[in-house]
Parts: sequence; C-alpha cells; structure tokens
Amino acid sequence: MAQIEIQNLTFSYPSGRSALSDVNLTIHRGEYVVLWGKSGSGKTTLLRHLKTVLTPYGKRSGEILLDGVPLTELSQREQAGKIGFVMQNPDDQIVTDKVWHELAFGLESLGCDQKTMRARVAEMACYFGIQDWFHRDVANLSGGQKQLLNLASIMAMQPEVLILDEPTSQLDPIAASDFLNTLRKINTELGTTVIITEHRIEDIFPYADRAVMMDGGRVIADDAPRATAEHLWSSGSGMFSAMPTPVRVFYGAGGTGECPLTVREGRNWLSRAFPEPPKHTALPERGNAEPAECALSMKEVWFRYEKDSPDVLRGVTAEVPRGCLYAIVGGNGAGKSTMLKAVCGTCRPYRGKIRVFGRPVEKTPNLFQGCLAMLPQDPKSLFVGKTVLEDLREMTRDEELLAKTAALCQITPLLQSHPYDLSGGEQQRAALAKVLLTQPKLLLLDEPTKGIDCFFKETFAGILAKLKAEGITIVMVSHDVEFCARYADWVSMFFDGQILTTDTPRRFFGANSFYTTAANRMSRHVFQNAVTAEDVIALCRKNREDTP
Amino acid sequence: MTSDAFSNRHPAVNFLFFLGAIGFAVLIQHPAYLIAGALGAAAYYLLLSGRKGWKRIGMLVPMFLLLTAVNPLFNTYGERVLFHVFGRPYTLEALLYGGAIAGVFVVMMLWFGCYNAVMTSDKFTSLFGNLIPALSLLLVMVLRMIPGFIRKAGQITLARRAIGLGAGEKNRDKIRHGMGVLSALTDWALEGSVVTGDSMRARGYGSGRRTSFQIYTMKRGDWCLLAVLMFLAAAVIAVSAMGATAAEFTPVLSIAPVSGIYALGFAAYCAYLLIPSVLHLKEELQWRRSRSKI
Repeated sequence: MAQIEIQNLTFSYPSGRSALSDVNLTIHRGEYVVLWGKSGSGKTTLLRHLKTVLTPYGKRSGEILLDGVPLTELSQREQAGKIGFVMQNPDDQIVTDKVWHELAFGLESLGCDQKTMRARVAEMACYFGIQDWFHRDVANLSGGQKQLLNLASIMAMQPEVLILDEPTSQLDPIAASDFLNTLRKINTELGTTVIITEHRIEDIFPYADRAVMMDGGRVIADDAPRATAEHLWSSGSGMFSAMPTPVRVFYGAGGTGECPLTVREGRNWLSRAFPEPPKHTALPERGNAEPAECALSMKEVWFRYEKDSPDVLRGVTAEVPRGCLYAIVGGNGAGKSTMLKAVCGTCRPYRGKIRVFGRPVEKTPNLFQGCLAMLPQDPKSLFVGKTVLEDLREMTRDEELLAKTAALCQITPLLQSHPYDLSGGEQQRAALAKVLLTQPKLLLLDEPTKGIDCFFKETFAGILAKLKAEGITIVMVSHDVEFCARYADWVSMFFDGQILTTDTPRRFFGANSFYTTAANRMSRHVFQNAVTAEDVIALCRKNREDTP
Repeated sequence: MTSDAFSNRHPAVNFLFFLGAIGFAVLIQHPAYLIAGALGAAAYYLLLSGRKGWKRIGMLVPMFLLLTAVNPLFNTYGERVLFHVFGRPYTLEALLYGGAIAGVFVVMMLWFGCYNAVMTSDKFTSLFGNLIPALSLLLVMVLRMIPGFIRKAGQITLARRAIGLGAGEKNRDKIRHGMGVLSALTDWALEGSVVTGDSMRARGYGSGRRTSFQIYTMKRGDWCLLAVLMFLAAAVIAVSAMGATAAEFTPVLSIAPVSGIYALGFAAYCAYLLIPSVLHLKEELQWRRSRSKI
C-alpha cells in the first residue's frame, strides 16, 4: 500500500512565483527515494510540503496523503512523531548545548515519560555510536558528528518516514559517505522510508530504489536509477552530466549491456570490454611549459596557534607558477585552511618565508589591494548588505568595474536580491564577485565547491577559466577530488602539516589508488592515467578506432 | 578538574550543600566558624583545582588584609584605641570586625569557586528544568548560541581582513569595521534562528505538554548523603538559635564561647564543611589502594 501519496499538488509563493505544478508522486513503505534536479527546481519546496509545520506560505491546491489520511488532518504531535526531517545546515538545526539533551529534545517535546526517554536515548546513542561523546558540548563536535546527532535525535522519535534535504552538502567527503552509509543502514535494517535530495548523486544513485527528477516544479522522470540514466542519455538531457562517473563513461563510450552504477560494476564492464590489454593505455601528458615566474612561494613554513599547541604547519614548501590553477587536496583538519591564512598574513608563521610575487607577505604594503584576496569557505561571512549590489558597493565606487565583475560572475540578474535569498551556488558567485573587486592577481579559494551542485560547479569552473585567461593565479584548497582532477593545472597533496607531492592531475591521481577520482579507480586496471570520465571515454574510443 | 566524588553526586545534593555552606558563611560572623569555613572551603578548592588553586588563594590574602585594615578607617566604634589616623581613632574592635567581614568575603569567594567547578550549567538547568521548563530551555539555547556567535564573529573578521576590509588604524575605520561585522553577524544569526525554529517545530516543539529529560537520578547514596547534610545543618541552626554563633565586635567585643553544647554545634559545622573534601580524599585513597594491589 502506498505510504505517501501526492495528488495534483500545485503551489505558488505569495510573490506569484510558481514553485510546483501538478506533482503526482506515490511512495511506498520502506522505499529509498532520491529526489534530484537543478537548484530551484522545487525539490526543497516539495519536501517541505510533506510536513505541514514546515510548509511555506502560498497558494496551493492538491492533496498529500499519509497512509490514506490527508496530512492536514493529522495533529502536529502525530506528524512530529511519524515524519522526521533533516535539514542542510548541521549547526543551526541543533537546539540545545549538550549531546544527550539534543537526543532527548524531540521526545521531550512529545511529552514522553522518563522511562521511555531513557531507553530510547540509550538505544539511539548505541545505534549511532554516540556513546563516546554523549556528555560532550555540542560546540565541540565536528560537522559530521553534528549531522549524525541531528539524524539520531530524529530517529529517537521512531519516525516512519525520514525526509532529508541535502543533508551532506556541508560535510567533507568522508563524513558525507559515513552519513549516507548510516542512512542506508536505517533504511535496510529498520525499513524506514527515506526521501532525500542530494547533490552528491554518485554516492546515492546505486542504492536508491527510485530516482525522481524534477525540473521547473514538475516531476519529469520517476524511475529506477538505471532506467533514469538510460532515459537521460537517449533524450540528450543536460541533466546527464550529474550522473555517476561509471554511467557517463558507459554511455559516452557507447557501451552495451547493463549500465554500471558503481565503480565495481564499472571495472567489471571495462574488463569485459577490453579482455586483452588495449593498445593505447595512456593519454599524452600536456607538455610542461617553461617554468613561469612564481606567484606564490612558501619555504619551510612552520606555524602553531599557541605556544604549547602542536604545530599545524610543519615545514610547508611550495611554488605556485603564475597564471595557473593550483589545487591542494588533503584530509580534514590537516591544516590546509591554516596555510591559506598564513599566506594572507592573518596567521604569522614563526619560521619560514612566504613570498607573493617575489615579495615577503609581511613587507607588502596594501597586500589586499590589487594583489591578494581570499574567498572564505562560507560565503555568508562576507555578506553585510541588504542586497548583493550594496555588498559589492562596499568594495568599490567604480560602477563600470562593478558591472563587469558582476557579469563575469553571472550575478547581474541577482544584484537586487538579498544575499541570503540566493542558493548556495549563487551565494558563492556573489561572494566571489565581492572578492574580485579588490582586483587580485593571486586569488585564494577555501573549499569553493562545498555545498554546490554539479551544474553550479561547471559554471564556477567556467568563471575560474576566464580569470585564469586574464592572468590571475588561483590557489584552492579542496576536498573535491573530482573537481580538482578536472580543472586544476597542478595538484598537491597536503598531509601532516606539509605538502608531500605536487604533480599534474593525470600523474598525481594516476599514481594514487585510494585518494583518487572514481574514473581512475574504475579504469586503473586497464588504463594508466585516465582521471576523468572524459579521459576514459577518449581512451575507449581511441582503442576502438584502432581495432577494426 | 577531572573527577571528584562529590561532583558525581546528584546535582540537587551539590546545590543544597552549597546553599548551606554559603548561607552559613554569610550569616555567621563568629570567628571560629569563619576560620573553619575558610579552611574547609580552601581545602576543597585546592582538591578541585590542584596547583592552580594556590594562586587564587594567594590573591585572596592581600584582599583579606586590605579589607580588614580599611574598616577601622570608617568605623570608629570601640574601646581600645590603637592609634589615631587623621585625628580619628583606629580601634581594635573595628579592626577585628573588619577581619570578620573580610573573612566572610573570602569564604564566599572560595565557595563560589568550588560551586563553579561542581555545578556546571547542564546540572543547573537539569535541576531547575522541571520547575521552569520554558526558562531552562531558553537558558540552554542561549548557552549554545554564545560560543556560536563568538566563532562566527571571528570567522567574519578573518574573512573581511582577507579582502582588505580589516579594522584599520584610525578609530573611524575601527568603528566601520565593527559595524560591518555586527551587521553580517545579525543577518547570519537571524537566518540561523529560522532554521533552528524549523528544526524545533519539526520535532514537535509546541505541540503540547513538554517533559524534561532527567539525566541524573537520585541514588540511595545520594539520599543518605542528603540526610547527613540535613542533619548537620539542622544541628548548626539549632545551636545557633541558642546563641552559639553570636558575635558582637563593636562597640564592645562579645563573642560566644565554643564549649559545652556549643562545641557540639561547632563540630557539626566542621563536619558539614569537610564532607566534600572527605568524599574526594576517600575516593582518592581507594584508587591508590586498588592500584597498589595490582
């Protein structure tokens, strides 16, 4: 029997903007449904309709039934218990200051008695492995732990349906996959229905029962993941680029048979496609240009925050040539962000030299005017104005420059909006515009792809390419291996307070076997240095052309 | 503070103990009781904070001396004049009275130091959560928001500095910078509070009667300890009612003797004060013994 039934749901905001039109959707008990589409396609609006207290104000028609009963007829208490809702921001969702109290919060609100509460809280703490930090202050948890706590405190109410709105967008890749694994465990072990929107589609797609695709407030596809992939490919949809790497390689290379969804399936498919070692196994490496002048050089930089604390930077040495996109990858808390702060001069190293365009950082007057600027991890920390335009005017009076920069960052239509009304990707670009108004020659980016879906990533990469063409040197630290492999000129590995290796993406990721892209993991037993889906496709085609 | 036998007891026991200890310290100015109070509080304070505790106690000594010496300058009652200051008599009685007041202050400071270490915010809120649920939730939320604000303000300052909008040298620039940070922080906080509100309502907040999760339960040992504390406190109150703690300093020095039944009251007071220290030391000894057996 259908658990949730959405019938002819149409909704428009008070401003008149239509958000959902004629949505029909049936979700069965225990299903794992992924809802996806570009940002602004109405995913969040649809999810919020599944819980009346979160439903936005506006004009609405149609009906939503939970177990055959209209949602509006259920009391708030029943809804709170039956439908759990996890939101994007791990930090703001937490209400209390202690982990144990947060776990109990929902139960307290439902008026549970002590005995039940005690049992449920204990049960949840064990199931989610929270025992070790049960008594801690919430402020001392990592982002991943916070989000897990949010999930656990909702599961303590034993909901039948779990709704998640981009739950991992603010997490690093390891914490994100931990979270998604826990979610899968809940779905398979407890049979809780899961409805999730997620831009990290690669990690979910293989395990979802159904992929519901939305565009412009409509459901445009509702099928099993494999069928969705085939449909997208054959219809030539632009949404195909969001598909997991194995899918893109399979269709891009003209594969036959069943489409692979995971790296494992992708490997097997490649093995079948090339039973004999193929003739071409490597792509030509870009010829190294003559060494350009150094935009940024670091020599043996050591830093720690306090006299007695451990060193965060332990002899960082790097040279960034002018006019390139230099990516630094590495685990969480390895000190990548601290390194950027040291370059900005906000952290003073106690040993070592940092030079920007040949001059020591601490001796450069007006470092932040026309020389160096940093885009922080959270774009919100830059917004002070009521509109984007107001924010940009804080930086410059030069209207021409402002208009040019806004156009470059593709935010011209958004100038009159409040920065907080923009989506994650738009906020990122607005913040970038603000940073670019200092006209830097060296741009530092701290996790620029965090919380951005793959379509916005492409736009963002396009902007970076234009900046590079203008001669701006870009240094970015990132967890996003796929993005770095595709767009960076140089990739460095940051580990244990140092930069360990630096190479071109192909050589760098080609040499790694774990810390590398999905395309490389899938193809490394056949090809040598294919690191993106495009690389694998190119090699497949080349080999096919050579074998008659 | 790592572990302390008394802190691990139920918060209600902790709270009532401090209520008694601080209450007695404020109300009783009898020198013997003050000295006992100072010793008892200092002992527990040192057990709680270790070597760092000496520093604070060291700071209290000059404070004590100063307060003592200052009182006779304002209060000239008393029979035995020690000398004259600006033509006003400086009397022994006033000096002793100053000592008593300063003693009360020192003992209170020491007990509050212990209180802060033992009664953490979560203990306090869990204790009073049932009495005033709305207020205690508010308190918890404020406690959660303050560190968040501080962290975000730091983040904003750093982000602005990295695009050349840092606080300048001039006062005007500094004010402008401060306003910028504050404005960004307000927007951010407002947005965050909308999410928090959604998250609360999504978990049934405001859907009806609320209960409050008690992470602490009164065990048998807690009840026993509470009974002992109550008994001792009652004894002190009883002898005090009989006049055992009477102390007059000015104009004539008259202090009740500590003898007979009065001595029993004093003994009860000492026992009361030493309970946390004794519990702490007992546990420490137990651990030492069990460790030496291995």
